[in-house]
Amino acid sequence: MRRRALTAALGVLTLAGAVPAPAQAPEPYRIGMTAAITGRFSAGYAPTYEAYRAYFKRVNDAGGLNGHPVEITYEDDRGEPQRAAAAAKKFGESSILMINASISATYKPVQTEAEATKTPLLFGGGVCPREAFPPAHPLIFCTTSYGSKWDSRMALGFIKDQSAGKKVKVGFAAQDIPLSRIELEFAEQLAKELGLEPIPVVVVPGAASDFTPFAQNLKDAGADWVFSWAPWGVEIGVFEALHRIGWKGNYILYGHQPAQDELTRLKLPSLHALTGNAMFTENLPIHTEIASIVKGQTNHPPHYMAEGWTSAQVLEAGLKKCGWPCSREKLAQSLATVSVDTRGLRGGPIEMTPENHYRKVSHYKVYRWDAAKNAIVSVGGWHKLDIK
Amino acid sequence: MLQALATTLVVASLYALLGAGYVLVYRSSRVLNLAQGDLLTLGGYFVFALAATFPGLPAVSLPLAVLASALTGVLVYVVLMRPMAGHPIFAAVLVTITLGILLRAVIVFVFTDRTRHPLGNLGLTNPPRALPGGAVVSTFDLVMVATAVVLFVGLFVFLKLSPLGIQMRAAGERALLASQRGINFHGVFALSWALAACAGGLAGMIYASNVRLEPSLDVLGLRAFAVALVGGLDSLAGVIPAAIIVAAVEVMSVRYGNPLLSDVSPFLCLLLMLLVRPWGLFGTREELERV
Repeated sequence: MRRRALTAALGVLTLAGAVPAPAQAPEPYRIGMTAAITGRFSAGYAPTYEAYRAYFKRVNDAGGLNGHPVEITYEDDRGEPQRAAAAAKKFGESSILMINASISATYKPVQTEAEATKTPLLFGGGVCPREAFPPAHPLIFCTTSYGSKWDSRMALGFIKDQSAGKKVKVGFAAQDIPLSRIELEFAEQLAKELGLEPIPVVVVPGAASDFTPFAQNLKDAGADWVFSWAPWGVEIGVFEALHRIGWKGNYILYGHQPAQDELTRLKLPSLHALTGNAMFTENLPIHTEIASIVKGQTNHPPHYMAEGWTSAQVLEAGLKKCGWPCSREKLAQSLATVSVDTRGLRGGPIEMTPENHYRKVSHYKVYRWDAAKNAIVSVGGWHKLDIK
Repeated sequence: MLQALATTLVVASLYALLGAGYVLVYRSSRVLNLAQGDLLTLGGYFVFALAATFPGLPAVSLPLAVLASALTGVLVYVVLMRPMAGHPIFAAVLVTITLGILLRAVIVFVFTDRTRHPLGNLGLTNPPRALPGGAVVSTFDLVMVATAVVLFVGLFVFLKLSPLGIQMRAAGERALLASQRGINFHGVFALSWALAACAGGLAGMIYASNVRLEPSLDVLGLRAFAVALVGGLDSLAGVIPAAIIVAAVEVMSVRYGNPLLSDVSPFLCLLLMLLVRPWGLFGTREELERV
């Protein structure tokens, strides 16, 4: 009896051994992203979230990185600091990296949580914080094409070049948010140093019902050029108001995602868009590739994906370099020495160093409408700026 | 100075169109329609969608957009406000807040959060127009002023002279008495909502063609709410001077004071009015007590 039971048990064990155990899925790289996917500010940030989704879906479909999938948890912070803080707290428990693609008001709480949990924090899609610039904070990284101080240097240098030695009056249109005001107050000082004649910064409330009075102030002050570095609504709103009231000067703004559409819509050669991303009108192979990958996955046009795509390229390179297992500390070290070929999305590679978590060289292009060619053209190709 | 005056008139016209919507609904039903700004946004998106459907045919898309706005007003009354009859006014006001949130969500869902410009699809242009004295405004700035003038003249004539307009006033003043006299006050209230949505929608259509269209335009409604209160919530005539005062303070603060004041100027005007004359320029004390 005992012998029979033993034989049966052995049989069961043998059978159990013969049935292959279900293959265990490889553990993922766990990342957390807080983004303004909905809410008042989503227009500038939701495309970054969409680009990340499309990018890493493709990566995971192809087998992941180093044999492991990339699992990104997306939290919609609606551009609200308290929601971003809650998301960061959650990411601090399990993620090896936090990504912030939201307005600057969410930076502080997310950064505080990142520091408390020693989690690296990558800014992609929102303006780069100064902690990413040299000397960089060990945990803060940024891939966004625009960054305070550097953009003003580039814009004013461009205005000076275009003026060909003539003394020109430069006006500044800021939005009533700290980042925009601080940047353009800096630009006002810089203009003096460059021998330009600055006009005091005109600060515009984001919810202005009519931009004409602000434009009138710039026109009355005799501005030959106006530089605007602000959220898109104010940048373009002031320009259109200036145009409406018959101003004949030149205008340069930071070319956020809608710039390509607006240059085409307005067809005004006096409007210059300064940007770190190559416009999709250049029709590079990477542009075609992005367009085909995101088709059906986004409500935005493919050129809105540029910021998010570049950021995702940097993260992919960082994770590859980190290998497996990849800890927070190891990932921060990997990102700090990453060098990414953006395949033409930017004017050159994104190279970070332990001291510089922004990029060693920033590349800019200035685009405007060319009436003769009936197309958007770049003025002078890529311009380089060493980030020191 | 002339440019500032011209801009004041344009901004005042925008506020007047929106303010008229607040007053029309309040006069008939005593409800503060806090979704008026969203009805403006919706009007803009109606014209955007219809212009995309009938490109280059503004004579088709614009009247259809106005009609769609009016029907939205009727729908809001029938579906949301009529069932609120008998409930406290406070509850009805909360319903309008919810309506605004829902409209914003639907707009983002359908049209996304991108900034739009319907003018291209309408097949129209918006060239600058020089005014005597050197001021320059856009063509759609002039359209905004003309629309406000036509709407207000039309409303005054309608409310004073037409039988339906008189019924509307009667239902607004004494709903019970009006119903006992055989006035279909539900029909009259629905008409008020249609007119209010139409006024807001028109403002949205012109603003979208002139400046831009995006889901966050509802903030304009909040500024115009201050206009309606400054003028007196139950006074259509009060909207006009109130809109001019608020717009003038806003424009002049940019031109001659601190530009940042322009953002809060409607509410500074409101605060001042509440301190001096809480029922507004042309409102009645009794109405304030009801509020």
